[in-house]
Amino acid sequence: MSDFDVIVIGGGTNGLTAAAYAAKRGRRTLLLERRDVLGGLAAGEEFHPEHRTDGVLHDTAGVRAWVARELNLERHGLVRRAEEPPVLLPATNGPGLELWRDPARTAAELAATSPTDGAAYGRHREFLARAAPVLSRFTDHAPPDLHAPGLGDLLQLGRSALGLRLLGKREMMELLRVVPLSLDDWLGEQFETPLLEAGLAAPALHHTYSGPRSPHGAASLLFAECTAGAPVAGGPRALVRALEAAARARGVEVRAGAAVERLLGESGRITGVRLRGGEEITAGAVAASCDPKHLFLDLVPAAMMPRNFERAATAYRARGTAAKVHLALAAYPDLPCRPGAQPAAIRIGEDLETLEHAFDAVKYRRFSERPILDVRVPTLESPDLAPEGHHVFSVLVHYVPYDLEGGWTDAQRENLLHRVLARLRLYLPGIQDAILGHELLTPVDLETRYGVTGGHLHHGEQALDQRLVRPFLGCARYATPFPGLYLCGSGAHPGGGLTCVPGALAAREICR
Amino acid sequence: MGKRYDAIVVGGGHNGLICAAYLAKAGRDVLVLEKRDLLGGAAATEELYPGFHFSTCSYVVSLFRPSILRELQLARHGMQLLPLETSFTPLAGDPGLCRWPDPQRSRREISRFSARDAEVYPEFSLAMTKMAQLARSIVDAPAPDPTSWNPRELARLLRLGNQLRRGGAEVMDLNLKLLTMSAVDFLERWFESDVLKAPMAVSGIIGTYLGVRSPGTAYVLLHHYMGEIDGAFRSWGYSKGGTGGVSLACARAAESHGAEIRTGAAVERVLVDNGRARGVVLAGGDELSARTVVSSCDPRLTFLGLVGARHFDESFVAAIERYKLRGSSGKVNLAVDRLPEFFGREGTAHLRGDIAIAPGIDYLERAYDEAKYGDFSKRPYINVVIPSLLDPSVAPPGKHIISMFVQYAPYHLAEGAEHWPEKREAFGDAVVDTLAEYCPGLEESILFRHVLTPWDLEKEYGLSEGNIFQGELSLDQLLFQRPAAGWSRYRTPVRNLWTCGSGTHPGGGIMGASGQLAAAALLESGEL
Repeated sequence: MSDFDVIVIGGGTNGLTAAAYAAKRGRRTLLLERRDVLGGLAAGEEFHPEHRTDGVLHDTAGVRAWVARELNLERHGLVRRAEEPPVLLPATNGPGLELWRDPARTAAELAATSPTDGAAYGRHREFLARAAPVLSRFTDHAPPDLHAPGLGDLLQLGRSALGLRLLGKREMMELLRVVPLSLDDWLGEQFETPLLEAGLAAPALHHTYSGPRSPHGAASLLFAECTAGAPVAGGPRALVRALEAAARARGVEVRAGAAVERLLGESGRITGVRLRGGEEITAGAVAASCDPKHLFLDLVPAAMMPRNFERAATAYRARGTAAKVHLALAAYPDLPCRPGAQPAAIRIGEDLETLEHAFDAVKYRRFSERPILDVRVPTLESPDLAPEGHHVFSVLVHYVPYDLEGGWTDAQRENLLHRVLARLRLYLPGIQDAILGHELLTPVDLETRYGVTGGHLHHGEQALDQRLVRPFLGCARYATPFPGLYLCGSGAHPGGGLTCVPGALAAREICR
Repeated sequence: MGKRYDAIVVGGGHNGLICAAYLAKAGRDVLVLEKRDLLGGAAATEELYPGFHFSTCSYVVSLFRPSILRELQLARHGMQLLPLETSFTPLAGDPGLCRWPDPQRSRREISRFSARDAEVYPEFSLAMTKMAQLARSIVDAPAPDPTSWNPRELARLLRLGNQLRRGGAEVMDLNLKLLTMSAVDFLERWFESDVLKAPMAVSGIIGTYLGVRSPGTAYVLLHHYMGEIDGAFRSWGYSKGGTGGVSLACARAAESHGAEIRTGAAVERVLVDNGRARGVVLAGGDELSARTVVSSCDPRLTFLGLVGARHFDESFVAAIERYKLRGSSGKVNLAVDRLPEFFGREGTAHLRGDIAIAPGIDYLERAYDEAKYGDFSKRPYINVVIPSLLDPSVAPPGKHIISMFVQYAPYHLAEGAEHWPEKREAFGDAVVDTLAEYCPGLEESILFRHVLTPWDLEKEYGLSEGNIFQGELSLDQLLFQRPAAGWSRYRTPVRNLWTCGSGTHPGGGIMGASGQLAAAALLESGEL
């Protein structure tokens, strides 16, 4: 008799989701988190006395409504915001652009500079809305089995093909045409405002190891935009709280500060885990929300690993390209392009060429002179993260290589921070005087602190091949070649970001 | 207006000639019109310097369909392919890497850089050959149409799906990877040494405006393994007498079936009445009448140039306008009085195949980065062949031709494409300087230099934006989307106007498949 029915490794949003689902299905479930706090990349942390972030990943718009419904997250305190706050794309020679999902409001912003782009943005959002059901059929269901397609798989494939065909000939062709395009090509066809193009492209490129000129960027944008909904009020921190409450309410036993050292195997089967310190816990199934490289190359007993599978795990690409900077600020600095405004999100990347140059650097193991910044200010919505009147800037910095030429020395870290601040000063000239403290997390730091191989925040690049069969053949449907072991994190279908989908779909597979 | 032909083929390149030959063979009265005084288009041999016969543009033959060779009896009409057997990657101050027909010899060379790579190399070739067999069935038939509800089309899609499924999950997975990954990422699943990966990766970027790290470049690797010469898989070939030899053989085949061919006959426009093509107007104003006009020119030139946008609906024009051409390569041809000498290599065996100046992945990627921002690469990727070694008839005794395919030379210079003429020689210098880094003394051996930029390819050879494949071979412009969604079956929105160039499925290279499939579709349509 095992100690538990299910052990979930990792207390991030997917681990918590998987645990809550398993417990809901009546499984005796144990959740193990290596760190002392739950949440993983969505955990809030104090980085400067009395100043906290609300998570390394800060976008919650991808959290699916159906997961929230099935886990009753509303009852556990989850609130969705009515709408997503706009993103400010600042400029030095004008008011910049406030980008809304709502086409009318974006069009109003563009009215003075490019009414044609305002109209084009409306058409762009309409196209996304029509493509959404087709794409979410893929992202929100377990992928079909390539190995031994059963009737169900064929039906699912058939439904997907039918969904695509029912779009109509013209729309279907257009979707097939667009998917492999680069963002430079696709957005260039639609718009003329460089700031708008860059603002739309940047989030789609993150975590893909590609730039605006790289093919398939349009696919990333489609997937990200088509599956986005309303963000969670209170941000990632609130999401983690609700998931934890839902898990505990169903009887999940949660142990933080419990690092899994390796998995226990017996005649080819995974039977449990061994913690650092030597404690062994057995279970009928182990669901790992850590990244696939860490799982297969570090945790699975080497003796059990078939050579081919090990090769596939080694070949799985997880080259982190983002760093994180957290700033504690005495006040929200002035934005000369929007006097008086205090946007909750600022995206810095002037045009596609700047994005492309920033990507160029990372290919040669350097970071860019002019990094691309994705800034969130969580203290606007959650003032309790900092003392009254103070603010926290949570900044994702692209592109920054994991394997920096010459390594991450103190001088290089200083250099990166300097460049990030120089970029911020350009649009927020007063920021330097407001800074009380900071934290810089390079991809190597992110790997060390959060256990993500390569510092990759999505547990592996979201390239088309690693999106369609994720992470790779042989474990693309949550089950692995090792009976009793399942994937349930961002390295599994449909991939990274705060969505809770891999955890939910994996749990279904485990509880079959 | 005089005689009315069954078909007028616009353009005397190899695809136009092949299409004409098939139509003539089926008993149709065919006229081929070529703008230049010389047949062959981008597959032509020209005596640019006394005694030296250059394959000016296209220089190797790899994917020529064996069925065409057979059906048009091209060997009898003088076509002869000489295999390029080696692949040599020189390095500065090092003998570099040469891959030979003898696997053991290649293995020894590769193991100098990586023992593991040497071991995996045959495994890789085997996997790729399997993939190539599947790809062949796509190249040898019209593109499937995934939007059609026609039972015949659905059955064909199912058959393709089934063929894919029969290969098993691994083959399906590998296909997916090939279609979506970058050449470098794909190769890195097998290999570790830069000097092996780089020359293999370049086959993924030939003729594209992409880098070896750009997603979607892996599948072109297959082309290397699809090359068939006399049934032998994966060999590349050089045509005796230059690539013009291929075109001339096709022309002779066409003429043997009664086709009429005119050179120095530039078509100015296609005559269209009531949405129906009925002939062409030549540059001098002469009108020629035909039941069908078949254009082997690229889609932009055909639809927006020869026919005119006013004959098409808005969405078709928009599709053709955004069709990506953006040529990215140039050509530098040299006449030399002696063979180049590479560090640590004796004799000429290593010079009898292709020589790739591709010393590393970062080198190639940097070359692309320069092109991205609108300049030619100062240190480009160069594919060198010395055809006079295989075929002494193309150069005077003891002298040689060095033919260099160069990437990147982007059509769209930052200062504008029209500035190419003043940059032409600087580009030529960069190419010669680059090669000279690997074979010192090259400059002194040069008797004559001929530089072709993408601008020249457009102006002289009629290739819009200098694209050697009449349009990028990217996923969004392949199969049922080449050249535009719904118009991949050689038919066009103008009745009696058909297309047969590289800008149609399967496109690109001296393959001949477009000309062959277009002729078959036209004959089958019953319109001719």
